[in-house]
Amino acid sequence: MSDTLTQPDLEGDESEVVYVDDSPGFGGTLAIIFFAVLATLAVPLLTYLMLNAGFNFLADKDLPPWAIGLAAILVGTVGTFALFTIVDYAIKLLPHNIGERVRPYAWAGPAMVIVGIFLLYPAIDTVRISFMNATSTEYIGFENYVYVFTDPASLRSLRNTLGWVFIVPIVCVGIGLGFAVLADRLQRTESFAKSMIFLPMAISFIGAGIVWRFVYSFRIEGTGEQIGVLNAMWTSLGNAPVDWLRLAGWNNIFLMIVMVWLQTGFAMVILSAAIKGVPGDILEAARIDGATEIQVFWRVVVPSIMSSIVVVYTTMMIQALKVFDIVWVMTGGQAGTEVIAERMIRQMFTFRDFGRGAAVATFMFLAIVPIMILNIRRFREEEAQR
Amino acid sequence: MRISRAIALGAVSAMLLAGCTTNVYEEGAFAGGGGGDAADAAGGGGGGGNEADNTGQVLVSGANTGVEGAALQEIYDTYVNEAQDDFTVTYSGSDGFEQEVILQIEGGTPPDVASFPQPGAVIEQAEQGNLVALEDLGYDIEELNSRFGEYLVSLGEYDGKHYGIPDLVNFKSAVWYNVPAFEEGGYETPETWDELIALSDQMVADGLTPWCLGTGSDAATGWPGTDWIEDITLRQAGVDDYDAWVNGELPFSSDSIKRSWELFGDIIFTDGYVLGGANNISGNDFRDAPDPMFQDPPQCMMHRQATFITNFFPGAGSDDELTAGEDYDFFPFPDIDGNSGALMAGQMLAIFRNAPEVKEYLDLYTAQEPQCALGTIAGISFISPRLDVGEDCYDNIIIAQAAGTLNEALNSGVARFDGSDLMPPEVGSGEFWNSMNNYTDSGPDNLDDVLASIDAAFGN
Repeated sequence: MSDTLTQPDLEGDESEVVYVDDSPGFGGTLAIIFFAVLATLAVPLLTYLMLNAGFNFLADKDLPPWAIGLAAILVGTVGTFALFTIVDYAIKLLPHNIGERVRPYAWAGPAMVIVGIFLLYPAIDTVRISFMNATSTEYIGFENYVYVFTDPASLRSLRNTLGWVFIVPIVCVGIGLGFAVLADRLQRTESFAKSMIFLPMAISFIGAGIVWRFVYSFRIEGTGEQIGVLNAMWTSLGNAPVDWLRLAGWNNIFLMIVMVWLQTGFAMVILSAAIKGVPGDILEAARIDGATEIQVFWRVVVPSIMSSIVVVYTTMMIQALKVFDIVWVMTGGQAGTEVIAERMIRQMFTFRDFGRGAAVATFMFLAIVPIMILNIRRFREEEAQR
Repeated sequence: MRISRAIALGAVSAMLLAGCTTNVYEEGAFAGGGGGDAADAAGGGGGGGNEADNTGQVLVSGANTGVEGAALQEIYDTYVNEAQDDFTVTYSGSDGFEQEVILQIEGGTPPDVASFPQPGAVIEQAEQGNLVALEDLGYDIEELNSRFGEYLVSLGEYDGKHYGIPDLVNFKSAVWYNVPAFEEGGYETPETWDELIALSDQMVADGLTPWCLGTGSDAATGWPGTDWIEDITLRQAGVDDYDAWVNGELPFSSDSIKRSWELFGDIIFTDGYVLGGANNISGNDFRDAPDPMFQDPPQCMMHRQATFITNFFPGAGSDDELTAGEDYDFFPFPDIDGNSGALMAGQMLAIFRNAPEVKEYLDLYTAQEPQCALGTIAGISFISPRLDVGEDCYDNIIIAQAAGTLNEALNSGVARFDGSDLMPPEVGSGEFWNSMNNYTDSGPDNLDDVLASIDAAFGN
């Protein structure tokens, strides 16, 4: 992440120097533009031609599947690398002052083109489709957006997602921070204790959903043993078994617990690193001045790691805003647990209404953007401090 | 470096995808080339016009996998591939069929024939102009009507033309019961709704719980309840009201449909009828729901579900499997107000390529003999939609009984397709389920609200 963020600046500096040294003049500038466009398009175009030729070549051969796969991988990796080398070599043949200004485009340009084709174009098209009907055959204005904000299930999904966005990050950061501070004071077992909290991070959302479905599992009283841990404990205290995942209102909280379980480790690791970065002399100075440990924590440690907290917090917010897997696996959005990502998939693939699905997607995208900007800005701040 | 790696990665995945596609279509492409050459040669020698189109290959895809897929290929081999030399039929089944076939269609490489799991998907493809109409393929609809009955054929109708040939169906209107427990209690299987209620009351009086009911099904929770409403509606309102209701002409809140919910409510909300009570119905997974019926002593006596549920009975597939006819059996969902009926679900064949060999395959496969032969393959629970394939064709006693009931209903015009599968998906796979859960969770007093919210989703 840090490489990609700082690299363009470096490269800019470099070319600035080159520009001052030997100015290419008007004709030179035109040439640079021409070759830059050429260099940007060269690799994607050549890659396409190469892959297409490779595909046609392989399609005519009666080879076992593994051989085709292997050949495809070789053409894809070695071939693409060779293309870059060739283009780079071609640039060396250009006059030095032009070539040096073109080179960055040859290396960064193809990525931009590919991002444009596979990310930017679909994003723009999604917005366009969101103004069309179910089968994308005619424009219907803002009707899909009206639906998103009037349909009862849609409104429930907005309410629930808001709950996820506010509750999950606070709990994750709270527990993560608390644990990071306390673990910091452990003598020998710190890494072990932190590993325990971090461990769930290795589990996918789907996997966690399945695991926790067993935790919340419910059987009607008298039809067999309660195989769910929660109900086993609950009934052993003499209560009747409860169907946790259908318990109106509470079921959303039970789903959020899964994400907290998964993500607290992430918050803890980042915040723990930040806490270790707080200079010891500041803490010592505060203690000498008579601050209590609680005051040191709130007045010194927390302000010092604020930008890390914000980055973690906003990352969690984005995660929570996008939550899908957990809900889909555990309740399928039933019993009042709809979230907007789940609505999007359901509109698109269950109800086959592409317009509404795209409208939900667009709304989600717009909701994420401000958090994303905040996140990146804070991240840069933090990087700048280092 | 990182960028180039990302691009390389992208390129690799693209190539891998390309590789996969090659494998899937490779065979067809070769055969296509070969067949084409042969046909060209024949054409040069004065061969006839249509021959040039013959690719020598008919590719059929569908959602039947495992034993079912193998059974279909077996039937194709015996009754199509060995019956003529012009072409070979290959079946490819996939669990992700519904998504994959859409991708293939959009990618311009559909199979020749696809067996869609419900008629709605066929109509959707017809709307988008992707299908070959049966009329254009040279079918006489009257003849098809006499083969499958008017109702099933009409399910594939769009804009005056027909696009689907009825394929394998299964029977849904079955009420399963524990045979030894019925014998012990001296109970007789009911034939009318009143007898069913009387039987349930008798069981309660004897200290038993009559019903096991569970509609839990992950993201599709509620659908088993919608089957109940459909079964009741088909009988108490009759086929005309049923069709009007499914088509959206008769709202859920109409007296006719509302009565179905009230009758269902008589079962689920009567004290002591349902194991665990109504509010636990939606939390009870439909696959686990019948289990208590086979506990010792049985926790409940009856369970209504389609014929596939035997696969989920305790011990199914193992050595101590329950025995059909001895441990369990079913009786058809009882008549209401003197009306009988049968609820079914099933597949429909849609055609993507207009060629003589495709039609020949369809004719050979849907003939009486192969359709009857399907019933002799072990482990298969399909029922043929043909009117002249009766009970005798089936070896399994449960399937034979189901097929007999369904076939009789098809012949007398009272068999109907699962209504929720025919409704728009935002109703049939959305609000109908949701509202069903609201009703079982917190009914019966919220019935009017429940019905109104389904009507709202239906656009009424």
